[in-house]
Amino acid sequence: MPPLRSVTGRTRATLLLCLLAAGLAVLAACTPSHDQSTFDPAGPIAARQADLFIFIFWLAVAVFILVEGGLIYAVIKYRKRRDGEMPKQVHGNTRLEITWTIIPAFILLAIAIPTVKAIYENDAVPQDRGEPLEVIAIGHQWWFEFRYPGLEIVTANQLHIPTGRPVVVTLQSEDVIHSFWIPKLAGKLDMVPLNDNHFWFLADRPGMFYGQCAEFCGIAHAHMRFRVVAAPEEEFREWVTDMRTPVDAPEPDSPEAKGRTTFLANCSMCHTVDSYLANGYPTEIAAQDRRWNTWVESEGDSPIVSGPNLTHLSLRSTLAAGVQDLSEENLRTWLRNPGSIKPGTRMQVNAQVYATEDNRIGLTDEEVDNLIVYLMSLEPGEGGPTVSVPPPDAGGEPNAARGEALFAANGCSGCHSLGEDTIIGPGFKGVVSRAGTRVTGVSAEDYLSESIRSPSAFVVEGFSDGLMPILSTLSDADVADLIEYLKTIE
Amino acid sequence: MTTGTITIPRIVPRPTSETGIWSWIGTVDHKRIGTLYFFTSIFWFLTAGVEALLMRLQLSRPEAEMVSPEVFNQLFTMHGTVMVFLVVMPLSAAFFNWLIPLQIGARDVAFPRLNAFSYWLFLFGSVLLNVSWLVGDAPNGGWFGYAPNSENLYNPSNGMTFWVLSLGVLGIASIAAGLNFIITIINLRAPGMTMFKMPVFTWMTLITSVLIVLALPVLAVAGIQLQTDRLFGTTFYDPVAGGDPVLWQHMFWLFGHPEVYILILPAMGIVSEILPVFSRKPLFGYPFVIFAGIVIAFMGWFVWSHHMFTVGLGPAANSAFAVSTMAIAIPTGVKVFNWMGTAWGGSIRLTTPMLFALGFIAMFTVGGLSGVMHSSAPSDAQQQDTYFVVAHFHYVLFGGAILGIFGGIYMWWPKIFGWKLSEGWGKLNFWLMLIGFNLTFFPMHWIGMDGMPRRIYTYPADQGWNGANMAATIGGFVIAVSVLVWVINVYLSWRRRDPAGDDPWDGRTLEWSIPSPPPHYNFAKIPQVEHLDDFWFKKHPELIAEFEGHHGPRGAPEGAQFDDDDYYEDEVHAEDDETGSYAHGADDSHGGHGIHLPDMSYYPLVLAAGITLAMAGLFTEYWVVGIGGGLIAWGMLGWSFEPVND
Repeated sequence: MPPLRSVTGRTRATLLLCLLAAGLAVLAACTPSHDQSTFDPAGPIAARQADLFIFIFWLAVAVFILVEGGLIYAVIKYRKRRDGEMPKQVHGNTRLEITWTIIPAFILLAIAIPTVKAIYENDAVPQDRGEPLEVIAIGHQWWFEFRYPGLEIVTANQLHIPTGRPVVVTLQSEDVIHSFWIPKLAGKLDMVPLNDNHFWFLADRPGMFYGQCAEFCGIAHAHMRFRVVAAPEEEFREWVTDMRTPVDAPEPDSPEAKGRTTFLANCSMCHTVDSYLANGYPTEIAAQDRRWNTWVESEGDSPIVSGPNLTHLSLRSTLAAGVQDLSEENLRTWLRNPGSIKPGTRMQVNAQVYATEDNRIGLTDEEVDNLIVYLMSLEPGEGGPTVSVPPPDAGGEPNAARGEALFAANGCSGCHSLGEDTIIGPGFKGVVSRAGTRVTGVSAEDYLSESIRSPSAFVVEGFSDGLMPILSTLSDADVADLIEYLKTIE
Repeated sequence: MTTGTITIPRIVPRPTSETGIWSWIGTVDHKRIGTLYFFTSIFWFLTAGVEALLMRLQLSRPEAEMVSPEVFNQLFTMHGTVMVFLVVMPLSAAFFNWLIPLQIGARDVAFPRLNAFSYWLFLFGSVLLNVSWLVGDAPNGGWFGYAPNSENLYNPSNGMTFWVLSLGVLGIASIAAGLNFIITIINLRAPGMTMFKMPVFTWMTLITSVLIVLALPVLAVAGIQLQTDRLFGTTFYDPVAGGDPVLWQHMFWLFGHPEVYILILPAMGIVSEILPVFSRKPLFGYPFVIFAGIVIAFMGWFVWSHHMFTVGLGPAANSAFAVSTMAIAIPTGVKVFNWMGTAWGGSIRLTTPMLFALGFIAMFTVGGLSGVMHSSAPSDAQQQDTYFVVAHFHYVLFGGAILGIFGGIYMWWPKIFGWKLSEGWGKLNFWLMLIGFNLTFFPMHWIGMDGMPRRIYTYPADQGWNGANMAATIGGFVIAVSVLVWVINVYLSWRRRDPAGDDPWDGRTLEWSIPSPPPHYNFAKIPQVEHLDDFWFKKHPELIAEFEGHHGPRGAPEGAQFDDDDYYEDEVHAEDDETGSYAHGADDSHGGHGIHLPDMSYYPLVLAAGITLAMAGLFTEYWVVGIGGGLIAWGMLGWSFEPVND
């Protein structure tokens, strides 16, 4: 039967072509060199996910060849040749139909078993890989906050982890739903407001791994990325020490110092730079809550928004949530017109310093330059990791020096300058003499004490209520020391 | 022939035009309503295509600045919403309208005015949704509208309000149409047409209609909650006030997964009609195909959380939904194998409809296989919300539903309009569409596995995604050319208008037994049905023995001869439904054909306009709600007291 032979020859060629196409697809898809390739797992979670995919993929290729090959074969073989040709009127074949119901069922069972197994395996934190590192990852529009509750470190957009040890992550969201995804380490899990998720992953090898938000979360969704730096335990420990080490104080009148003043006046309401302080961790958590509540209460209009923590910014490799490399040049573009890098970013939409006619930063070039120098200088200083914790209350007379330490440790300078300029709250130059005259019959000490204890008690005209946190950890002696310190600001 | 004793004053005279625009505005004829559905949906298909091309242009290369991120978000939201609610669903409805009465031997649907009402509501809802573009407030929260991103705090513009209110309007239209077709199919079948002698397309329409009636109310409830959140300050889905955003996802996908089958089952029905005709063989395993459809529709309710594998429902829920999702692949596979069995051993004619049907099987299979990859929750954790998913569901909904529907267009065009579309242009249309489609969507599989998330308006140049994105954009334009070829085909074929004849394809079902285009009343005599594929066996009585021999004794005695006079039952057997539209007896005032058909009516249009205005008024001016309310009252009263025939 020569015609039939030629048909089978063509069919065989078609099948071969299909195989070739499938093979090419696999080759093309296996591009582990790419930063977000799922085919280059660097940890057990991603490895199990990739293995399962590849297993199902080959089964799918087999079914694909069977179905498409059969279809092409049927069309070629049974194509009408004579007019009026009437094929056999087959209505069906119950045995055949039951067969092609049962065989797929078995194939699917073969997929279901490893699937359920992998679901449970990926859910259980391994007990034999060392002490898990606890991390809280929080999605914000449009950046990632990382808190290490055990280490009292808070950072943003760059997660540092040790290799070979499980990282247990609590996923939260402050605003909308985001999704936490590091293709080479772990498939995604959503960050849902009010619905904490928990999962774990582990990096088998050191490296810089790319992460990206995978749930549509608004205008800057495309620009919500992050990096994971996995390093051997000692290197990770060094990073931890660095994060607890204060920045060296800038020389007076240096560009850093000028930049710092600009920062305090324009940026510090949303960005914290000193979370290495003794109270840095709880202070930052309280500050983020405050920023968030302010934004929600204003229905999105407040000049204060949730901003990434910038402590030791220069240790990071990217800016704007993993969008660009951190460099002076990129930082300049970013600061001048953030929307040119990340359209829709809240910094430009909300912050006072961008409330200019053209929506560009309302600072001179020199101020921006100094700001860049200052931001790039945010790195662990020479002084080592010991933090100047306010000494315990020694009793006796109020102590201005201890007050100054408390002033720093509680982040007061984020909102109050020591001059006359307004950051968020009033500047403190001459505050004590003013305080005595504000309310008849209330002494300066009582006025200040009441203002620290219940910030809403006396709100100075022109300032908003509700921005200042209630510092419930302060003792009476602490308040007295703070007031004593304020008296020294003439 | 007034039926009531109450008469209310007529504000407008009853429409009577048989030609011109008024004949369309007042029509209650299922064929005309089908045509209205068809051309309206094709218009939205073209707009959704333009939206897709703009997105592809923006993504053709990294860091492109064709459109802003805000506009990109609007584009993908509208593309998805329009393709689902304004293209695939109403195109299916166009086929329901065109074919169901013809396939079951009826003269119209059970409730002709309700049918017109569904269409007008669909039209107004679709306009309401798209007006958002004109006022610069197009929805931007995704076709899935995930809360809380769709809440006011994050989305203060009117976009998502447009979205949720239009879906409300469209939902009412769909539910009304679904009820209408269930009742039509159950009640108006020609004598002798038992359930298991119904054409497969009729079966799939019935199943789809049941799904519509059950699934759309779920969306309606969720939509009303989101709407009151946005308009009146309730907090169903607002986590700031303790609302639960995960609840929205459960509600949306509890609707959304059956919706997937609402989109694909009609196309499966179309393909199941095309394959036997062009293989000259009955559908292989008709009962298996029907039961597989029923099982898919039933199981479709137990898989919704596979859209939520990464929400964090926990290992037990993920395992259960992974397994149920794998299980639904079994009946789907049965369908594919039965279609292959139909072609196997046949006498295959590769006409344009057949090419599209074969293309459907080939492409739908790819979408089905990637669907199995998603069903494995750990594997899905890498694929969810990446381009792999975009590839997957386009293989199902474009490679499946759209190819199937285009096959249907070529198949039934001569029946509906009386002239064929050109086969040459048709084949060009098919091959361009198939090639363009694969060029667009196949590369998306690998950029997805390479870590490119969905719904990002730009991407960095160094991630290895550039080539595949460029290929997809080129493919998108090839698809656009193929659609253009279809438009040219319609135009050129319309210029020729070669009469197609009653039965141009050697069809199998009842619609091919009547003239093309069908007369207003469809069947001069209601047919008496004896077999599955009755018309085919009436044409080829010598095949009955062979077929019944396999099939067991059923229907007419073997060897019955086709006799044209016997084929049509006398019209005294015609059904006399509650509208009286199939009343017997001659009446020369009705077009001279002696068959009563329901008179035309404006009230469906008035009521639909009222509902849409009332919805639109909720977020514009409250007096608009008043006008809408007035129209609703007028429409309902007028409708209620309007006699079937004047």
